[in-house]
Amino acid sequence: MMVGMTRAQRTLYSVLGLTGFLLFWELSLRSGLLPGSLVPLPSSIPGVLWLELLDGIWFDVVRSSLSHYSVGVLLGSTLGIAVGISAALLPRFNAAHAWLARLLRPIPPLAWIPFAIIWFGINPSAAAFIISIGVFWINYFASYSAVHSIDPGYDEVARAFGQQRFLARLTKVSLPAAAPGILSGMRAGLGQGWMTVVAAELFGIPGIGQRMMEASSLLATDIVVVYMLTIAALYATFDFLFMVVQRRLLRWQS
Amino acid sequence: MTDSSMTMPPVLSARNVSLGFDDTTILAGVDLTLHPQEFVAVVGASGVGKSTLLRALAGLLAPQSGRVEIPAAITRDSRAWSMVFQAPRLFPWRRVQGNVELGLEGLSLSKAERRRRALEPLALVGLDEFAERWPHTLSGGQQQRVGIARALAVQPRVLFMDEPFSALDAITRRRLQQELVELRRRTEAAIVFITHDIEEAVLLADRVMVLGNGGMDQPARVVEILEVDMPLDDRRDYPEFAPLVQRVETIIGSY
Repeated sequence: MMVGMTRAQRTLYSVLGLTGFLLFWELSLRSGLLPGSLVPLPSSIPGVLWLELLDGIWFDVVRSSLSHYSVGVLLGSTLGIAVGISAALLPRFNAAHAWLARLLRPIPPLAWIPFAIIWFGINPSAAAFIISIGVFWINYFASYSAVHSIDPGYDEVARAFGQQRFLARLTKVSLPAAAPGILSGMRAGLGQGWMTVVAAELFGIPGIGQRMMEASSLLATDIVVVYMLTIAALYATFDFLFMVVQRRLLRWQS
Repeated sequence: MTDSSMTMPPVLSARNVSLGFDDTTILAGVDLTLHPQEFVAVVGASGVGKSTLLRALAGLLAPQSGRVEIPAAITRDSRAWSMVFQAPRLFPWRRVQGNVELGLEGLSLSKAERRRRALEPLALVGLDEFAERWPHTLSGGQQQRVGIARALAVQPRVLFMDEPFSALDAITRRRLQQELVELRRRTEAAIVFITHDIEEAVLLADRVMVLGNGGMDQPARVVEILEVDMPLDDRRDYPEFAPLVQRVETIIGSY
């Protein structure tokens, strides 16, 4: 708990914690406490990033990963939300697919890699497919729960005021009432997408994952760290932008 | 209610309505005829089926047997009935104005007409200046007034009110009761008003319908219908007021 701390104090402690960690890391390597072949010096990272930028490699791999990520997240979110909402609103559809969902849900996205290669080959579609699977389940369950837990009183109000049709109730009650839950699912899906994107590229599809794999095989751990930090920065950027949109859409909440 | 309204065709008629769930009947043999501007309060002990009856009269629940008719069909710009709920149940994702417009959506009205039609009842309940506010910024009493405005916006022939003031504090409830008295003069709608507050029923209604338990394993039924023969203004000051309240209490207590 941060009770009794001002914002400035919290920022100060955060900066101190991060600086302390980097300092400990740097000194451990320089003093020989940690072997330099296994972990890069933090002070070397900016230089390595600069070289990656100068060579244009950073832009190429980030562009590739962003394209896999965007397609995968868009596909997984759209389908997950659509199927989740349908399952919550249509009891017959829910019953018909419930066992299938229970069967498929525990299978991790990476377990689909063999099928992704067979179906799509080693190309961006395969990476997008793997990313979409993880994103799909998060959005599916978030949307299902959000719609399922809507106060039935809202539905009664809609019917009492002439909004009996399915489409009217969907657009005037179900979607707006479930929006907070659906948007939370989308946000979690954005994070899940970045977790999967590297793994999905490890088997040879150009992108951040492939670059990290190449670098690690040459023990270029500094390059690996550059791209680890790149993913963290991209995730933080996407999460921040989504949060801005989310706040705007949910400005009606108290 | 005026004498002329009694000569007009009824806006609601219920014949021998029975209600229940599965094989259990909880309320049986309800007859009710409502004329324009008429106000009927339904009272009875908790669990006797008042709110269930209201939903059946509105068509939100199907009766086990019997028939409910609201002859006034939907018109181009109005609805046959509307409802004020116990909790305001405003849609938090819509502004006040959007909530009041809910029942107008789907009618043949332009956007500008819808806006005007929503502002009228809002002004009637004194909240036209709050049209652009979000519901969570209003007090409980203000939210309930928006609920009343929402119901009035569709210009209903029958207005169903399900214990609309029960969740409010005493002062707000008293003020809204007074506002409802004023509102009655300005609306053509007949009103069915569910309440557990007997004084409130006698204060507002032309007739008080008392529901009571029918006995061991028997469904509840209408045990008495009392006419309230007092002018609407300051009914509490009339000598008949307290004895009538007492009488309704006695009837409810004996079932």
